[in-house]
Parts: sequence; C-alpha cells; structure tokens
Amino acid sequence: MKGYRFVTGAVVGALTSATMMVAVQAAEYPTKAIELIVPYAAGGGTDLVARAYADAVNRHLPQSVGVVNKTGGGGAVGLSEIMAARPDGYRIGMGTVEITTLPNLGVARFTADDFTPIARLNAEPSAITVNAGAPWKTIEEFLAYAKENPGKVRIGNSGTGAIWHLAAEALATKSGLKFSHIPYDGANPAVTALLGNHIEAVSVSPAEVSSHVAAGTLRILAVMDDQRSKAFPDAPTLKEKGIDVTVATWRGIVVPKKTPANIVETLRTASKKAVEEQGFRDQLAKMNLSYAYLDGPEYKVAMEKDAEMFKVLMKQIGLSK
Amino acid sequence: MYELDMLLHGAQALLNQPMALLLALFGVTLGIIIGALPGLTATMGVAILLPFTFGMDPLSGLLMISGVFFGGIYGGSVTAILLKIPGTPAAAATAIDGYELTKKGQAGIALGTATFSSFLGGTASVFVLIFLAPVLARFALEFSASESFALAVFGLSIIASISGVSVIKGLISGFLGLLLATVGLDPMGGFPRYTGGYTELFNVPFIPVMIGLFAAAEAFKSLEDPQVRAGMAAALDRIIPPWHIFRRQLGNIARSSGLGIVIGMIPGAGADIAAFVAYNEAKRFSKTPENYGKGELGAVAACESGANGCTGGALLTMLTLGIPGDAVTAVMLGALTLQGLQPGPLLFKDHADLVFTLFAGMLVCYVFMLVVGLGSLRFMGRILQMPKSVLTPCILALCIVGTYAINNSMFDIWIMLAAGVVGYFMQKWDFPASPVVLALIMGPMAEANFRRALSLSNGSYDFLYTRPITAALLSIAIVTLLLPLLRRLWAQRSAGGPSTINPAAGTSRMGTPE
Repeated sequence: MKGYRFVTGAVVGALTSATMMVAVQAAEYPTKAIELIVPYAAGGGTDLVARAYADAVNRHLPQSVGVVNKTGGGGAVGLSEIMAARPDGYRIGMGTVEITTLPNLGVARFTADDFTPIARLNAEPSAITVNAGAPWKTIEEFLAYAKENPGKVRIGNSGTGAIWHLAAEALATKSGLKFSHIPYDGANPAVTALLGNHIEAVSVSPAEVSSHVAAGTLRILAVMDDQRSKAFPDAPTLKEKGIDVTVATWRGIVVPKKTPANIVETLRTASKKAVEEQGFRDQLAKMNLSYAYLDGPEYKVAMEKDAEMFKVLMKQIGLSK
Repeated sequence: MYELDMLLHGAQALLNQPMALLLALFGVTLGIIIGALPGLTATMGVAILLPFTFGMDPLSGLLMISGVFFGGIYGGSVTAILLKIPGTPAAAATAIDGYELTKKGQAGIALGTATFSSFLGGTASVFVLIFLAPVLARFALEFSASESFALAVFGLSIIASISGVSVIKGLISGFLGLLLATVGLDPMGGFPRYTGGYTELFNVPFIPVMIGLFAAAEAFKSLEDPQVRAGMAAALDRIIPPWHIFRRQLGNIARSSGLGIVIGMIPGAGADIAAFVAYNEAKRFSKTPENYGKGELGAVAACESGANGCTGGALLTMLTLGIPGDAVTAVMLGALTLQGLQPGPLLFKDHADLVFTLFAGMLVCYVFMLVVGLGSLRFMGRILQMPKSVLTPCILALCIVGTYAINNSMFDIWIMLAAGVVGYFMQKWDFPASPVVLALIMGPMAEANFRRALSLSNGSYDFLYTRPITAALLSIAIVTLLLPLLRRLWAQRSAGGPSTINPAAGTSRMGTPE
C-alpha cells in the first residue's frame, strides 16, 4: 500500500511540475536544447542547410539547436513528426517543398496548413539541362524537337511525384508537350544517366549539375525561376521565353501550427539574425546552394502559392489521390 | 611517369602535415568501431563526421572522412566473424564462413585473413584510382538501367551458391527476401505497397531486418543454451595467417579486389554487392567449392578484399566524373564541394597537388587500418571469452541501440525484433539468412532498373540482348544458376553406372568435407 501511495504521489508531483514547467517555458523560451528535425538523410542538401543554420542560430539563442535526421517515405516520416510534435518550440523542423506535394499524393497526414513557417533559408529552381553533345543549343530548339517527337524526349527526375518530376510535368502541361519521364533514385543518378547519354535531359537544379556544366560536359538550356541564376547568367528563364513556369524546391524552418506566438517570435528573430551572418551565407555558397531568405509571413505566402499550384498540377497529371 | 612523380610529391607534402595524418588515424579508428557496431554503417559515419570537416583544411577533412570510409568497410568483418553480427551489409557475406571458422576455433586466423585481405584489396583499389582513373572512368557511364538490372539479376543468382546445405531452403529464403523487398514505395509509380498505412514502411527497413536476422536471432539462440556461464571459445591463438596458407589466397584476393574495383565504379552498386559477388566467384574458381559455407578461409578473404576493393572504385568515378559510385561517396561528394573542390574532370587539373597528396594519404590510411586492425584484434578476441550471460544481453542491447540510430525510430526496433524471431526459427530449421539479405539488396535494384530500362526503351524488351554488358551479365547469371545442377549431373555421369541413382551415395558425398 505504501508503495502504491508513493507511486501516486510521485505521479501527481511529476504532473504538477510538468504543467508548471510548460508554463515557465512558454514565458522564457528556450530553457533547454532545441531539436531540429530534418526529414532527409545526413549529408544531403537539406541536411547541410539545416546544419549550417543550426551553427549560425546557436549564437543567437540561449540554448543550443541540435540536428536530428528522421528519414523515410520521401520526407513524409520526418514532416509528419514535425507536424505532430508538441507545440512548445523544442522540436522544430526543416520544412521542404514536399509539405505542399506529399498531401496530394495521399501519403501524408499533414497539409501545408498544419505548419507555421518561421523562415525560408534556401531555394533552388528547376533547370532543363542537356548533354553538351546534344544537338539543341537553345531551349526553343529543344522544345521544338519535343513537339515534333512527342513522348521521345526522356527527362530524368529524382523520383515520381518528387519536385523535379513535377517541374518537368509543369513544363509539359504549360507548353502542351509530351515527355517521357524517367524516375531515378535521387538527382545524382539522373545526372549520371544524362552524362552517359542514356536520357535526353534532366530537370534537376542548376546546383546539382554545376560541376558538369563548368567542365563543359552538360549544358543548361533554361531555368524555371523568376530571374536568371547568378551562377549561370547565360541560361534564360522560361518566363523570358514566354512560358510561365516557375518551379523550385525550398527549405526553411517550420513549427507545428499551434505553437504559441511568443515562441514563434523568438525563433523568427533569432533566425533573422542567423541568416544575416556572413558565415551562414558563405557556407551556403560553398555548397552551391542559393541563399533565399524569407521571413515567416512571406514564407507562408510562398508556401500557399506552391500548395495551390501543385494541387492543380498533380490533379491534372493524375498523380493526386 | 607523371602520376608516380606527383604521388611522391604528394607523399612529401603529406609528411609536413602531421595533423592531417593524426586525423586520418582518428578516422580509421573511428571507422573500424562504427563498422563493427551493428546499425552504424560507413555511410552514417561519414555523414556524422561531415559537419566537423567544415572548419578543417581540405586535406585533413578529406583524409579523416576517407579513413572512416575505409575503416568502416573493414570493421564490419570483425563482429561478423566473431559473433555473426554483420556490422555492415557487406559483412553479411563475410559472416557466412567467418563465423563457421570461429565455431571451429579458428577465429584468430579468420580475423587476420580478413584484415590482410581488406588491406590488400583496398590498397590495390587506391593504386588503380591513382594510375588508371582517366582510362577507366568512362566505363561507369556505359552503365545504364539495363546494365544495373542485369547486375542485380546476376547478384540474385548468387543465392544458389550461398545457400549452404540445401539449395531449396536457400531459394525459399531468397524468395522470402524478394517478397519483403516489394514492401515500400513502388520505384516507378510512387505508389505505397504493403505498407499498411505506415509511412515508416515506405522504404524497406533493410538494415533492421539484417540486424534482426543475424544478430538478434543469434542472441535468442544463445538464450536457450543452458551453459550460460561458459564463454564461446578459447582465446585467439594466432592472428597473422601462416604464409603457406595465406599464399594460396593471393590469386583469390587479386580476383576479388578486381571485381570490387569494377563494382565500386558502377553507380549505385557498393561494397555489399561486391562482397557477395566476390564470394560467388571465389567459390566458382575454388578447388574445394563444397567447403564454402562450412568455414572456408578463401570465402573470408574474397568478401573482404572485394568489399574494400570497392572503396577505390567508388572514389574513382566520384573524383573523376563527380558521380558517386555508392552511398558513402555520395556523402563524400558533399564534403569535397564544401571544401571548394568541385569533383569532376577539372579537379585533377586545377588541384592536382592536393589530389595526389590525398591519394598518398589514402594509402597511408590503409596502412593505419592494417596496424590498428591487427593491434585491436587481440583485444576484440576477448569478446569470445566473455560468459554468455554477459555477452548475450550486450548483443541484444547493441542491436536495439544500433537499429534506433539508423533513423531515430522505435518502429525500426520492432521490425528488428520481429526479424530476430523469424531468424531464430530459420536457424532452427536450417534456412540460411544470407539469401534474405542478398535478395533485399538486389530485389529493389532489379525491379527499379528493369522498369526504368523498359521506360527508357519505350516499352521494348530489346535491351535484354542488344546491349553487350547486359547480355553478358545475364548469361553469367544463367550459368551461375545452372552450374551446381550441371556439376551434379557431371559428377553422376563420371561416377558412372546405376550406383549414382543410389540416394545414400549422394548424401554422403555432400556431407563429408573434403
């Protein structure tokens, strides 16, 4: 009996202190280490951005931020975990463009509305890249060839339903063309196939082909962005060519929707200071990643715009469930 | 010789960088530990260390990472041989014969052979990387989806040679693995298959299954052993294999290293495939193929030199073309980029000094691996003297921690434990576990690449016979599958007369180790 009473007492005590702790924590957040969940494997692009951010933001928060990789399901596992985290600001996450695409595939329990965006850190547009030995010197020639040979042009992407597949599909729908979409296990194998002339083009980001473009083995025909890429100013945007397609992958910090406003504020301010550090920008530049900071509210607008676009597109091409 | 000159310059430059050498030693040691622990693979080790290289100079950072890579591939063999716990997928092949040798009390020689073979395979591959990189690099680009498919089919045909006593039971295990491999996202359409609504099952939980089938199953089995206080075996008597024994493995090691280098260069094929293929070929060319699976030193030598041969091959395509040959080099690609070194054709032109210093450092890394490996074996061998009442709980705890570390996921732990229970009964009823692992590696590779090849050829099956590499690999696969059958027929014919029909003669021939 004594033991039983002791257990009850302990439980009550623990519960009370836990409730009090939450109250205290909300007031003077953060009081303990923050976990930054990355839905992709260590060493990949998203992970590198997260680690660079964690490095920078640690100088602007009283507690440290540690990166935890939760991989699987093309990002669905990690993103679900961010969504389902207790909204106390101690588990924040790297939100990627998959927040807006996975819900349409019917493989995720979340939608874009389940997250409060804190800061966008990086964005990479899609680009149409061909082998340097290919006959097409401009995007017009390439598209004209695709028009004459419907279904013959094979575009490699990083997986069905993944962002670069959707980019190629968006181009196909907007310009009324028919491509053969070949999914690979990530962007790198697709680039390898292009180097070996096994496919005609890839729709991955300029960063993912930059070393080959520099070496003269691949050629970027166009980027799907609002402005030309700083690294490859010679490649035109599709917009310039009259095709209104902009598709980009992006990465940024998000928290669960119900996170209290003061915590969101703290994180936003710290993130803003972190991205202003030259060290952070240098780090991104070294990794061939573009700095594309947006503050919470603007990030939210961009996210909603993408959510809407992919909802329409994925229904159109029959990927939605 | 331009390369030799540059290499000597590199070696000189390296001597002036004691810090880089120290970090390389640290990397190798850490790699061996990571490789030996179940769940922690070389890929993960490299990924974890990556952020620490941000602040280092390129040489130190890259040498440390190379050290982890090399050590991690080798380290898997130690626990595979001693405890039948493959620390890495590649070591699943080593475990087949390595653990049998331990049971026979020859753990020391098995470990020593594994260490020397890893060293020789790895060093050979680095030399190929240094001297033949530009010549060989284009080969990797020949590999398209159809070639990868054919390689995977060849890999699957190896089930016939790793099945142990009964080919039928091996095939059953293999098909079980293939069935498991269909779980997850459909590689082409992206539809979830047999996931039961769990996002965790979108990728086949390969490493948890492997840890369960080998390590957890072994731990469960030793739970039923009444002699819990006894250690498994005596101490390691001799580690360095006597020359007259090791000499016989040299041809085997040379062949396996070559296979490893080639497989390492192929995009998407890594040390695990190399180890299994090397095993298969070693058995094919062996004078005593019937000893394979029962504790054959040649098997250990083949797997280890094959797996480490992969390292140089994978680095070769990564450095010359910017194409990672396997998962580890994919992460290393990031490390190079971070240091401002763009891998690709320009790397050798713009940074030749650094590249050749790095090559010299890689050779040193392999020497470190040999020294650290041999030095630690005696200590590692003590594991065998631990009473089972201590060892078994430790192994189970390691399995759980290691599994959790892969994805930080409890779900994986349940998968691992379930696989452990299945593995326990498989052992009890003599079903080999390695065909399951092989099928889990090759199944998804075969499926994805077959369908990709079909989509590349617009639905035509012509790629099966019009592409030379594909056709050759598929033919080898057919030969591998049929060879045991033909061998038996030949054996029966040469024995002559009706006596061969006598089933007793057949079984006794299979049963006696010659």
